Amino acid sequence: MDSSTLDIILKIIHYLFFAYAFSAIGSYIILSIISGKETIDYLKRKSFVNYKDILSSTMAPTITIIAPAYNESLNVVENVRSLLSNHYVNYNVIIVNDGSKDDSLEKLIAAYDLDKVDYIINEKIKTKPLRSGVFKSKNPAFEKLMVVDKENGGKADALNMGLNISTSKYVACIDVDCLLIEDALQKMIKPFLEVTDAKVIATGGVIRIANSCVINGGKLIDVNLPKSLLLQSQILEYLRAFLLGRMAWSRLNGLLVISGAFGVFDKKIAIDVGGYDTNTVGEDMEIIVRMRRYMEEQGRKYKVSYIPDPLCWTEAPDNYKIFISQRNRWTRGTIETLRKHRKIGFNPKYGSFGLLSYPYWLIFERLAPIIEVVGLLYFAVLIILKEVRWEYALSFLVLAYLFSVLFSIAALYSEELTFHQYKKKGTGYKLVLLSALEPFVLHPFILYAAIRGNIDYYFNKKKKWGEMQRKGLTGKEA
Amino acid sequence: MIDYQYFIDHFEEFPFLVQLVWRISVVLFLTIILLTIYLKVIRYHLRKKENEYKTFKKEYEALLVEYLYADKENEQISNEQQSIILKIKTHIPIKYKRKMVISVLYNLMNEVSGEMADSIKTLYYQTGLIDYALTRLKNKNWFVIAKGIGELRRFKVEEAHDEVAKFIKHPKNEVRKETQLYLVNLFRFEGLSFLNELKTPLSEWAQLQLLEVLQKFDDQQICDIKPWLKSKNDTVVLFALKLAQIYNQFEVKDILIELLSHKEKEIRICVIEVLTNLYGIEAKEMLKTNFNQLSIEEQLSFFKLLENLVDPSDETFIEQHLFHKNFEIQLLALKILKTINIDKFLSLNKLRSNKEVPEMYKFANNS
Repeated sequence: MDSSTLDIILKIIHYLFFAYAFSAIGSYIILSIISGKETIDYLKRKSFVNYKDILSSTMAPTITIIAPAYNESLNVVENVRSLLSNHYVNYNVIIVNDGSKDDSLEKLIAAYDLDKVDYIINEKIKTKPLRSGVFKSKNPAFEKLMVVDKENGGKADALNMGLNISTSKYVACIDVDCLLIEDALQKMIKPFLEVTDAKVIATGGVIRIANSCVINGGKLIDVNLPKSLLLQSQILEYLRAFLLGRMAWSRLNGLLVISGAFGVFDKKIAIDVGGYDTNTVGEDMEIIVRMRRYMEEQGRKYKVSYIPDPLCWTEAPDNYKIFISQRNRWTRGTIETLRKHRKIGFNPKYGSFGLLSYPYWLIFERLAPIIEVVGLLYFAVLIILKEVRWEYALSFLVLAYLFSVLFSIAALYSEELTFHQYKKKGTGYKLVLLSALEPFVLHPFILYAAIRGNIDYYFNKKKKWGEMQRKGLTGKEA
Repeated sequence: MIDYQYFIDHFEEFPFLVQLVWRISVVLFLTIILLTIYLKVIRYHLRKKENEYKTFKKEYEALLVEYLYADKENEQISNEQQSIILKIKTHIPIKYKRKMVISVLYNLMNEVSGEMADSIKTLYYQTGLIDYALTRLKNKNWFVIAKGIGELRRFKVEEAHDEVAKFIKHPKNEVRKETQLYLVNLFRFEGLSFLNELKTPLSEWAQLQLLEVLQKFDDQQICDIKPWLKSKNDTVVLFALKLAQIYNQFEVKDILIELLSHKEKEIRICVIEVLTNLYGIEAKEMLKTNFNQLSIEEQLSFFKLLENLVDPSDETFIEQHLFHKNFEIQLLALKILKTINIDKFLSLNKLRSNKEVPEMYKFANNS
């Protein structure tokens, strides 16, 4: 190969990297603009709503909260209390104890005066069998609660058990350790009842980080910014993802994922598609993609809705080991889902789902870490070969950095002008500072976890869920 | 001393693209600085606004309580009340203060009734707040109009009926919804007359809101819902079915039976549910005859109806469906059989050829 051919190849590579980076930046800008518009529209519409109107309505549709629990003995009693204190009228709670090895069940039996009941399960979705059985409370105060003890089958299997048992029209699938705001169900059910020109198949909510927040009696009392840089960075990351990213995709009806921590589903559609996939670690994304695919193939008009209000607060990983394990799983989940449904990608038969949402996820979510690492390696090679043109490299590096800081600040603006949760003096300054630091304190670990996720996906198929050590939402920072 | 000229000369030697990127970077950097400063300003204002809100709220609440408990002079506004009105009047030209007064007035109105509520309404008129609300109806922005209608509803301004009713066919859903709520809140069942001509869908959310408003009234004398049950707008039919169920409209049973043949499955299912509540035994024969043509959901609804309204003459029909392919129907069939013929139910124990039956049988037997 002569030097001119090599030059041409190198130029093509450079242009490809260049085009990728600028299309990524371009897409973020477009998504922020769309999300801004959607947020304004949402707040305008919301200003007319009195959620109390349907609080007492017995005609309001029934909702079942399904919360799988595995070795949650530490907090399960308190967490269930929080789930039982929702203000919605027609709802019940199913706790699926997924073969816990600890004393979760015993604690629940003692705390809620549970008694084993005769129960026959309509197994619309195949699941692992019951272990101790189904329990209901003898105390009328807890009549909404049902505890199902089954053999361990994983989160997806536990959720499927809940889907089989629920008799409600809608199901809210949540992580048992999540703290739901009292009017969360009213807000989440609204799109299902309000949209008349399409069928709403699912609604996703924003997940907020509860570490360091003050929680008492299952209620959020005070919102604090944690001291740990890792937790602070995750807060910023969640704000960007939920307030800028998902809000825009909601407007485009292109949401491919609803967080497993809190989402409400049309139960019939969820069952018709076969429930949660037990063979993936990204069951939350997979079920949405499958439900959308099902609706597209049926030729039915549908919508996956999204509520930006801070309705669900959860504990985020507070050390890098657990954080990396979580992100590794998210990466594998994304790869598994996109691979399983590759038929959708770039397929005009699936409309904007196939031509916009899927390609975006593939190119800017699935491939991004790989392209970034390839870019870094290529850059290293160029350094070794002394082929780096530093005036270009430095200028683009600075531009990329400043853009990422600006994008984070845009997310902060979105938060301040809408929900304004971090009210305390000095927090704004900390968050801005964090926008500048986050590319160094969080991004490298996300990149590392994503690459590990790719390696584990292709070379370590046995790897499933990682362990998440709970410390409990007590307001004390770890 | 820094030699800036050196940097400038060096910069000008860069290729155009690099110069452009640096220029954009400088713009981004300055934007970040400006946004950071402005964020601080915004946060300061938000905190200030929150504190001001608390202070003004306390102030207005105190004023209003003073107004409400001031001595009246022969049912007329007293001097003391007049001075409070004047004081509030000076505040309301400022938008955020006006919003606060309205919010305090409305919250208070929700907590009191009778004469006190009337006094608040008088204050609303006397301070001129009503004029601001009526002006909003003339605005071109749908959001402002809807807000105006909402306010007139909350303060029960019946005189604005004609002005508000004009918006019942407004292209924006929120405006239509606010108009519907205004009409029903103020004119109860009479306000539902908009359903006669409603062409746009009435969402389930809107239906629930209207039902909640209607159920708050003591007067439960419902108007004639028959025309709505025959409406071409399916959502109006669904709403009328809900009314029939809540207000036990036995007199519309004949229409309900006709609706069992409605083209929309959702309506047919809803009709069966309403008939269950209205003791609609007349529907049984028709549903039994057409049972195999019904969808699974309708069949299930019918079995739920039978669970409540079964009599011994249904036994043969129930027996035919003891092995229905649908789990829930099968279970209901067993339970119903148990209630009408326990001997026959107990004799089913021998039906062990189907693996499913014993467990379901046991469950039905124990329940």
